[in-house]
Amino acid sequence: MDEDQLDLLFHALASQPRRAILDLVRNNGGCNVNFVTSHFAFSRIGVMKHLDVLQAANLVISQKNGRDRELFFNPVPLQEVHEHWTDQYSRHFAARLTRLKRIVETGTKGGK
Amino acid sequence: MAETTKAVFRVVINGSIDAVWNELTKQGEAQAAVFNCWLHAQALAVGNKMQMRTGSGNYAMVVGTITACDPPHRFAHTFRFTQYDDPECEVIYQLKQLPAGVECTLTVDRMPVGTKTAKDMQGGGTMITNTLKSVVETGKPSLGTRLMFWMFARMEFVLSKKSQVKNWPLQ
Repeated sequence: MDEDQLDLLFHALASQPRRAILDLVRNNGGCNVNFVTSHFAFSRIGVMKHLDVLQAANLVISQKNGRDRELFFNPVPLQEVHEHWTDQYSRHFAARLTRLKRIVETGTKGGK
Repeated sequence: MAETTKAVFRVVINGSIDAVWNELTKQGEAQAAVFNCWLHAQALAVGNKMQMRTGSGNYAMVVGTITACDPPHRFAHTFRFTQYDDPECEVIYQLKQLPAGVECTLTVDRMPVGTKTAKDMQGGGTMITNTLKSVVETGKPSLGTRLMFWMFARMEFVLSKKSQVKNWPLQ
């Protein structure tokens, strides 16, 4: 992933509404713009602007299905960032620490 | 009819569209992008059966039927893990030449919700697209992925007898 793509990715993630949209799309793969708009106080145009930013960062993919456009969360750029800054060893110990944090804070081993 | 879902994975690869196509459709050698399995089919043509076998050739991990083969843009097949009894889904690779490289979109359609197949494919899609990018751009998968393949090759004995090739004729 080159520097321009990294800029697009972090710009897309540096916004609370966009992260909320991303969560919504991830949990409702195949939803459309109307569905996303119905979950936010801002306008459809506002939602579409945020979706444009998310699509430019390759975090959201829009696929045509008949007259509708379906939205999907694309985890690949986040995995690329993860791999860029971690190696086998740091990944192992970082995962242990995040697991410890989750267990202490939520009392569960799994989940997000 | 069981509820199904769809997942989409996309990556831009700095390489030629022919190189990406070759990695996804080559036969006679391991496909690093697809968990180091070997693609077997009588010919890459719509309607033909296909399998992804382990390196030893003794186990078919995935079986399916080719549903699209339009070089070098679209390759699709039905998909079923032999170790599970889940209904089959469909895997579609779509390649598009962009100024910045080749956009590779992997769509996994008709995944049966709540099944092991759906769970494995959600994780596997990212792995396939990222490894494909690594193989085309650098000539090899990441170190972590290579270690995983090394482990896979030595752990083949744990695979289910149900997955043995003799149970899944290609004809």
